[in-house]
Amino acid sequence: MTLPTKPLALTVNGQPVGPLDVPEGLMMQDFLHEYLNLTGARMGCGQGICHACTIMVEEADGAVREMRTCITGAHWFAGKKVVTIEGHAQHDAQGGLVALSPVQQAFIEHFAFQCGYCTPGFVTGATVLIDQLKRAPIPRAELEKTVTEALDKHICRCTGYVRYHTAVRDLILNTPGLLRG
Amino acid sequence: MTKRTILLTAAALVVIGAVAVASVFFGALETSVVSKDVDTPLSAQEMQRLAERGAYVAVAADCYACHTAKDGPAWAGGLAFETPFGTLYATNISPDKEHGIGAWTRAEFHRSVRDGVAKGGRHLYPAMPYASYREMTEEDVDAVYAFLMTREPMPVPNRENQLSFPFNIRQSLTFWNLVNLRRSGFEPDPARSEVWNRGRYVVDALAHCGECHTPRNLLQGMKPGAYLEGAVIEGVEAPDITKEGLTRMGFDPATLAAFMKSGVSAQGSMTHQMFEVVHFSTQYLTDDDLKAMAAYLFDLDAMPATSTPPPAPAPVDVAPPVASAARSTYLNLCAGCHGAEGQGIPHVAVPLSTNASLRLESPRNFVRAVLNGIPAQRFPGLERMEAMPPFADLLDDRELADLTNWMRARWGGRQPAVTPEDIAKLRERGHGGS
Repeated sequence: MTLPTKPLALTVNGQPVGPLDVPEGLMMQDFLHEYLNLTGARMGCGQGICHACTIMVEEADGAVREMRTCITGAHWFAGKKVVTIEGHAQHDAQGGLVALSPVQQAFIEHFAFQCGYCTPGFVTGATVLIDQLKRAPIPRAELEKTVTEALDKHICRCTGYVRYHTAVRDLILNTPGLLRG
Repeated sequence: MTKRTILLTAAALVVIGAVAVASVFFGALETSVVSKDVDTPLSAQEMQRLAERGAYVAVAADCYACHTAKDGPAWAGGLAFETPFGTLYATNISPDKEHGIGAWTRAEFHRSVRDGVAKGGRHLYPAMPYASYREMTEEDVDAVYAFLMTREPMPVPNRENQLSFPFNIRQSLTFWNLVNLRRSGFEPDPARSEVWNRGRYVVDALAHCGECHTPRNLLQGMKPGAYLEGAVIEGVEAPDITKEGLTRMGFDPATLAAFMKSGVSAQGSMTHQMFEVVHFSTQYLTDDDLKAMAAYLFDLDAMPATSTPPPAPAPVDVAPPVASAARSTYLNLCAGCHGAEGQGIPHVAVPLSTNASLRLESPRNFVRAVLNGIPAQRFPGLERMEAMPPFADLLDDRELADLTNWMRARWGGRQPAVTPEDIAKLRERGHGGS
């Protein structure tokens, strides 16, 4: 059986990709795993529930949005700029690590994860939240609730969320400009 | 005719008119369906005997869903009803003597349920479906009364309604009642079977299906000429549930009865208010009552021995550019859960190839589901459906119009006539937007 294909071109972690011939109904996660060897967006439930598979999509105004790759077709991302978990930290030209992203660093410092399977999704979700707060700061009193709501859809089965929550809260408290009033 | 005669005639007419209006207002023309028999209180033994049956009748009449606020104390009222005339709050019907109905006599309870006139002559608003409960039998109303008196009294004060003038004058309901209330209670049709008559009784009197599924006139009364033909409630369509309407959606009597029990079918899952109806009421109905309802709604004297679903509608052609754009959207955003062929995933996402919302004349319910999503839902047994995300900011009006037209044509047999302007109108503008 041959699957009908369409050419797909997009920007992944700042690099232009394609055009590649990609099956019409292929999910983004399979495209990342099988075509680009970017396996960090995790396959959890495959039904859009656990959010271990999320990546960031940059909108025209530079804002980022979280998308589930297990239930979104690769062709939906045509022409868009996406950031996968592999694109959060800074690397030098040889691929050596220069610096983790602030969210990644905070998760390490707080021992936020244990097995790490859900972590790419949590990094993505927390990074999107911080981007939103840069654009629209919130009062201090709403912080805990906002963190809970932003990360609520991400499922973790071993650390019980508390350290993820604390890490994100502390990062927001220590980053100027995310809170107001 | 002299000037004087004309003046006198006019004056007389004004007086007669005023007297007529006053008679209506003060209830002189009100008809009660409550008999004198209920003036006699029920004995303790009768109350005890009736209470168990009353639990079932109260479930069938779905009293709890409105008379208990979400996560609030049982039977203590509080659920808000947004109406065009202001906000109403369901009342405390627990047997608390001060705030509930603990001090109500049997007769007062009957008058409120069937005539819409509460203790002390206070007129109820027809958000309380007394226009339907009017057809309840005396024994069933007694049973609910006996059951409610066995509940825990909840000392919770009633919330004050926020209604604009003149709707805040309860006595003005006499006019509404005069126009909209049946003169008598339930009368079985001797030409039809016991099953059909029981079905009609459950549908009309207890389950009060027409309160949502029958369109309302300007005075907010149910239009008798459009019985169960469907109406828009809180921005979504309560579909046509006449025999024709149900067949159009793909139901036959057996699958309809199963749908009311489980909340899930090939036609989709129960959403919006019907989710609550299944949750609080129809899942608990006896198989006999569910079958009677289904037989009655299909206008049959008995349930057919076998289930024969109506044939699927024939697909309609869609212009190739629309089909191509819509197919891409479908594969990119819908197929991950609903399947490339619309087959769905059991316990996760409903099938779309047989979905009722694509077969309805109006695209409203389909479009609103795509725009606003549907929360995760638990159904009787271990059944559940996962949340459908909202797509309002991922699809523009043109993309959603194309998707709607293609899906309705492909699986619903509907002409592709939805425009981007139609979609724009259906986008949510706050709670209950049109």
